[in-house]
Amino acid sequence: MDKLKENQAAYYPGCALLTIDRAYNNSSKLVSKKMGIELVEIPDYNCCGIGEMKSKGAASMYMPLRNMMLAKNRLGSKNLVMACSVCYHEFSRSIARVKENQNELSAVNEIFKEAGEFNEEYIPDGEARHILEFLYNEKGVEEVKKNVVKPLKGLKVAPYYGCLYSRPSMYTFTDKKPKMDNSERPRFMHEFLEALGAETVFYGNEVQCCGGRNVVQDEETSFTLCSQTISKAKKAGADVIALICPKCAGALDVNQPKIVEKFGKDSELPIVYLTQLMALAFGFSKKEAEFSDMISEPLKVLNEKGF
Amino acid sequence: MAIEKHDKENSGGGRPVAEKGEHIVARHLIEDDNIKEEKNLVIDGVDVSGRWNTFIISRVNSEFDRSFFEEIKKTVAGSRINRCWQCGMCTASCTVTPLYRRFNPRAFIYMMQLGNLKELKKYIDVAWRCVGCYKCSQRCPKQVNPAEMMEALALVIKKYFPEEVKTKLKLDEEVKKIYEDMIIGHGRLDLAKLHTYAIQKSGRTKELLGKIERDAIFKMVKDGRAFSVLRLGKPHNWSSSKEAMENYLRKLNTIENTEAGV
Repeated sequence: MDKLKENQAAYYPGCALLTIDRAYNNSSKLVSKKMGIELVEIPDYNCCGIGEMKSKGAASMYMPLRNMMLAKNRLGSKNLVMACSVCYHEFSRSIARVKENQNELSAVNEIFKEAGEFNEEYIPDGEARHILEFLYNEKGVEEVKKNVVKPLKGLKVAPYYGCLYSRPSMYTFTDKKPKMDNSERPRFMHEFLEALGAETVFYGNEVQCCGGRNVVQDEETSFTLCSQTISKAKKAGADVIALICPKCAGALDVNQPKIVEKFGKDSELPIVYLTQLMALAFGFSKKEAEFSDMISEPLKVLNEKGF
Repeated sequence: MAIEKHDKENSGGGRPVAEKGEHIVARHLIEDDNIKEEKNLVIDGVDVSGRWNTFIISRVNSEFDRSFFEEIKKTVAGSRINRCWQCGMCTASCTVTPLYRRFNPRAFIYMMQLGNLKELKKYIDVAWRCVGCYKCSQRCPKQVNPAEMMEALALVIKKYFPEEVKTKLKLDEEVKKIYEDMIIGHGRLDLAKLHTYAIQKSGRTKELLGKIERDAIFKMVKDGRAFSVLRLGKPHNWSSSKEAMENYLRKLNTIENTEAGV
């Protein structure tokens, strides 16, 4: 595989984005390309562990770090961009931990040695980057404004960051590094949406949890948390909720029919990904942004508003 | 599991009858037998009947098991347990506590510090309700990382109460097992399979044929996403990584290696 060129970045898709959340994957690539960065998927990626491996010691860190090694070895890139917040959390957690703790680093390297896939040891010199933070810092709001051809005038959007994009600071370095977002009141998505011409609403649940992690074991908790978020956004007058995490989509979008069945029409609101809205404003068609993939039917609202 | 209701109903319109020790904050932490209420109490000639007549009999726990503390400290998830100074910020910011009053991260960490298994046993049914939102870890003034401490708690419960895990936490345990088998075994996660397995395990197979599920499946077949799941495959050369990880887990000399015992 060729090494990366200047306007390319190594990209980790993750399992959800390659299958049921392909809308997020494709729109992320479209938007990045339009803004001047091509996302190149790393070959042979493996699952990050999605938080279910944390009780497995160094094995939970090996899984994301193997992908960092792939990026370095095959694509020659120290950093890795990803769109999924859970993957982002797992990567940043592993990197922060092995940086801090020599024992854990050597335990991870032991596994690397035994697997024998790479000839070198892992050195924690790269960073995991969330696509929102990546685009904001590398290209900036001005670049977004420049690319807008179809402003989303009159669309009220409730930005939903979820948990793991900004928390915890000890892993993601929010508040700690100047270029990073604020941990309790993130603003990058707000700025992007406003640059697109859309209106953001304040509804108070921007960084609340959707219970996505327990969505299979403990539906009821997840449904309760989701219905709180959706109904608050609806009350604040939002037309759609914008997401940056496929796990939030699993809870808020895929399960929405069940939530509505349980909590009533107050909990019904179309869900879209931030990058889908960006793609729409950048002049791509609704079909290219794959709005029809969302279960909560955002197409209705978008058609009504005339986009 | 049903979400607990904490507001007591006002019956009959008049003043509600006070329950035993009702006005104690965190009442659920105290057992009924340990609350003493006197009808008419006079101390040093002062009548203290009414609200002030409630006493809590102090608990004495002298059987500290420090080996237990060391055991948790050795794990990766629970390595910072010694830093906790019990300020309660984790419980105050918890997402789950408002839904399940008995879910109390601060108390769980305290019980783990003391090695108080007897007390921990009472909370097995709520102990795994953590949603992993990391608000606690974000706000913890000592960087204890309570979110991951809950993972250590799960390990403790798995090791010391395998019977209860089998009865009360059957679904959680099985879903976790599906996740682990899939992630370690195949290197990638098949979400469709996971979802179907989990619904089957929870004995709600009928729901799979319900309208909502059917609509979702139909939609995914129609737009082709159902087939992308089939194409997901395995990373090249994954078997060497799998073996290395399994070897590591086998050699682990801590509480983390309790899988074989259950």
